[in-house]
Amino acid sequence: MTNTPSIAITVLRCVVCGTLDSGPRDLCPKCFGALAPEKVSGDGTLMSWTMIRRPPAAFRAEGTYAVALVKLDAGCQITGRLANPDEQATPGKRVTATGHKDTVTIFTAE
Amino acid sequence: MRDVMITGIGSTAFAKHEGRSIESLAVEAGNAAILRSGLERHEIGAVYFGNFVAGPLLGQEVLAGIVADELGIGLVPCTKVEGACASGGIAFRHAVLAVQTGQCDAALVIGAEKMTHASGAAVTSALNCAMDNRSDGPSGLTFPGLFGLTWRVHAAKYGTTRDDVSAVVIKNKANGLKNPLAQMGAVLTNDIIRQSAPIADPLQLYDCCPVSDGAAALVIVAADRAKSGADVPIRVRAAIQTRGPARLAGNEDLVSYPATRRAAQLAYEAAGMSAKNIDLAEIHDCFSMAEVVHSEDLGLVPRGMGAKWAVEGHTHVGGRIPINASGGLLSKGHPIGATGIGQLYEVVTQLRGTHNNQVKNASVGMAQNVGGAGVAVTVSILERSDA
Repeated sequence: MTNTPSIAITVLRCVVCGTLDSGPRDLCPKCFGALAPEKVSGDGTLMSWTMIRRPPAAFRAEGTYAVALVKLDAGCQITGRLANPDEQATPGKRVTATGHKDTVTIFTAE
Repeated sequence: MRDVMITGIGSTAFAKHEGRSIESLAVEAGNAAILRSGLERHEIGAVYFGNFVAGPLLGQEVLAGIVADELGIGLVPCTKVEGACASGGIAFRHAVLAVQTGQCDAALVIGAEKMTHASGAAVTSALNCAMDNRSDGPSGLTFPGLFGLTWRVHAAKYGTTRDDVSAVVIKNKANGLKNPLAQMGAVLTNDIIRQSAPIADPLQLYDCCPVSDGAAALVIVAADRAKSGADVPIRVRAAIQTRGPARLAGNEDLVSYPATRRAAQLAYEAAGMSAKNIDLAEIHDCFSMAEVVHSEDLGLVPRGMGAKWAVEGHTHVGGRIPINASGGLLSKGHPIGATGIGQLYEVVTQLRGTHNNQVKNASVGMAQNVGGAGVAVTVSILERSDA
């Protein structure tokens, strides 16, 4: 895939019905049971991405960056960053988690 | 429930109003609406005020009471309503409910925003209050970014091209030239749009609405209390509000908004109508791609054809379903809290047959107002009272 090793990421799993959610949230979105953190594979499918060229004030120092929506193989969607955005990275491409920036997961496309 | 009409309407231009306060803009629009309604001020039983960012950008809240005080409204409930960019549409629905249910016989709805004095970064940060800042906010997502994400999926799924989307921009910018209230009408070409600055790829500068100041107002009145001699009353056939997923990850499909689909379904049911009955629509085109997906979710344009119908002229004035004859947010401007009420102002003017960019024989019109990433949506249907 890439030279960067893929990492596991932490999401939330409902202790009652097993539903996965990327959170943060307090109640299971399906059955309203309690949620507990769980490590899952960082592999997934790229749903879409965009290059943010006019960031809000809090992100200005970063310059431009790509935000992506990823559907994890584990079974939930997550908003993160895309490390290698280019026009080859079309919706449906395979991606894997390769790092974090604060609480946000960074994905790298195949 | 009682039949409800819109009688008086008022609006400032949507523009850069340098040196004017938000209160002054709201009073201008509100006073005009009261005067055109034929009602006395003491007959207004409630005020609903749409506003989103007067807190962060102006350090001013409780605008409903402040503006009602200046307008000489009685000691009645005055409520500020916030639902991000849908604040105006939501304020309208509350006013309609108050009159429909007999809480009062007439209500004033005002929307206003003052934004152009603030820096671009301050405006972007204030607008990001409309995001779920536990999940999407930390990623650095912006609202142009949301429609950049949407665009890529629409392109992959339906083959929508840059020039297809530009047809929406060109149409709305041209419509704005005919609207005296519009901030930024323009004659554009595919080349000019393609050469404009990238904002959130594939979204470019001309795909984005401007930052605006402005206010709009409507008087809502029980049908049996509408004054003869006032402007032609326009019947409210539906005023629906729904919610949708608050965060990106909650959307199964980035090219369709559940809140809009549901609101449209409920609005058609309430009015006893279908998309075929709609003669014109004002749609929340904060970004070009937004008009594309919303027009499809409203059932006005076949799925996947939102941009191609603009290319083919079907959404132009004179086409099958004219969309944003006012110029829309792209051209008329987007003073957030005023936007949804401004859309209804445009629809009322069209149904009275007095619009500067008139849709011929318009008897039924729709307005759709969207807040956040689709977290709040209103869909309203209006009809000529003699139809």
